Amino acid sequence: MDLFLQQLVNGLVLGATYGLIALGYTMVYGIVQLINFAHGEIFMLGGFGALTTYLALPSGTPAGVALPLMLLGGMAVSVTVAVIMERFAYRPLRGAPRLAPLITALGVSIALQELIRNFYPRAKSARNFPQLVNPDRRFSLGGDVSISAPNLLTIVVAVIGMVALSTFVRRSRTGRAMQATAQDPDTARLMGIDTDRIIVTAFVLGAALAAVAGLAQGLRFGQVDFRMGFITGIKAFTAAVLGGIGNISGAVLGGFTLGLVEVMATQYAPEPFAGGAWKDAWAFVVLIVVLVFRPTGLLGERVAARA
Amino acid sequence: MTIVLQASAVTKRFGGLTAVKSVDLEVNEGEVVGLIGPNGAGKTTFFNCLTGLETPTAGEVTYRGTPLPRRPDLVTKAGVARTFQNIRLFPNMTALENVLVGRHTRTRAGVLAAVGRGPRYHREERESEDRSRELLDFVGLGKVRNELAKALPYGDQRKLEIARALATDPGLLLLDEPTAGMNPNETAATVKLVRAIQERSIAIVLIEHDMRFVFGLCDRVAVLVQGEKLMEGPPSAVQADERVVAAYLGTPTEEDTA
Repeated sequence: MDLFLQQLVNGLVLGATYGLIALGYTMVYGIVQLINFAHGEIFMLGGFGALTTYLALPSGTPAGVALPLMLLGGMAVSVTVAVIMERFAYRPLRGAPRLAPLITALGVSIALQELIRNFYPRAKSARNFPQLVNPDRRFSLGGDVSISAPNLLTIVVAVIGMVALSTFVRRSRTGRAMQATAQDPDTARLMGIDTDRIIVTAFVLGAALAAVAGLAQGLRFGQVDFRMGFITGIKAFTAAVLGGIGNISGAVLGGFTLGLVEVMATQYAPEPFAGGAWKDAWAFVVLIVVLVFRPTGLLGERVAARA
Repeated sequence: MTIVLQASAVTKRFGGLTAVKSVDLEVNEGEVVGLIGPNGAGKTTFFNCLTGLETPTAGEVTYRGTPLPRRPDLVTKAGVARTFQNIRLFPNMTALENVLVGRHTRTRAGVLAAVGRGPRYHREERESEDRSRELLDFVGLGKVRNELAKALPYGDQRKLEIARALATDPGLLLLDEPTAGMNPNETAATVKLVRAIQERSIAIVLIEHDMRFVFGLCDRVAVLVQGEKLMEGPPSAVQADERVVAAYLGTPTEEDTA
């Protein structure tokens, strides 16, 4: 039983990361119907931005000071790159057939990976990330179940980020404008909404949350890697589809579900599918099952034809 | 009298088709102007040219003396609002939220203000809500403000669209077939509503096929046929004009007269 509960905790931690990244996929999709495959790289850049910030700080900076600054640094990098990407790669293709921006997104994804690999110092393989939150420090959750400090931090910041985003979208003026743009962009414009700005806002918010996930990932694994956005990005995309792409609560639900499925399947799947070797396959099994049986996702609505 | 809207020689071509051909239209402050004409006469395209949804091929549109921008959001900001022939509400928002979206141009708080949640943000949100509630009461939807737009009956959806347009504080309101699909009771209520809007000194241009509605309500009526303005004048003159009758019913052929 303890093993199960322990895996439940691990699954939630993993799911929190997927959920944070999935929010970026789902927001952008909800507004411009673009699957931004470069979003995984925005997450990766958040990790590298945080690392760069750390390296720029004087040595011996206390973790309580360094961590917030690293978060800000990571967000600054992610957001800046996302804004540039939207402006120069996607906006010129607005109105083009949907395949064009999709392929562009794949290109941007590869370009960003290669930029880091070639130009970030010593980034051709994984770079060490400062272990500011001691992974050996564990908090007991009763019995033998416990959670490590970086994992706890991941869950806490993820939940804060998710609640903040959903409050923002539901309650604020800009959030309402985002919903309006998602539901009917032409009418939104006629209500005086500058939809170009709203689209940028969606990219910015998604990038900021991805940067949170990037920092958390660095702290949990003690390293960042130019490849880390690829597989995590695709899994987060799966989470967004699982929850119902375009739906913000869906992305969170999908993220946690996927995290739990991955962890539980790795633990309990019978031979020959048992163990970590199959870890990455489960997300795609889920993706296929969802696409076959419930293409609109857990919380998704049927997408009405746009006028 | 102040001229609110002046459209001069507005032309819109789609490839070889001229949908709107050199149409002039003037609207004075507080006036209700009707735009009638058979289906396909270019009425909605003309509206689209006014609101920046379409860029006119030629011609100029000014609002209170300033040329209207070519972007829908800026047109709204300038003071021109509209409704649609086929209702275009935000279906998954409540009635109140729909109207709040209309307040967008008249409020300023951006992302940072929302995150900071300072006093200005709260004051602005509260003012927007008060104004939106007032508008819902004005069109008679005060009781259903928390219903989703898509759950409202048809007539209420039209009223909600009008409330949302009014929320942008327009000086000119364009109504595209405000009574389409309405029963006589709903149409009568719409007449009252349009008059009440006029009393708020908002000028109105409306496209409509219900002739009794148009002639009973408008100060002036313009007739559009095949993209051109056939005539314009007070309702009595338009009603009596043979060309207008011919445009709607067709000219009698020799067979008919024989």
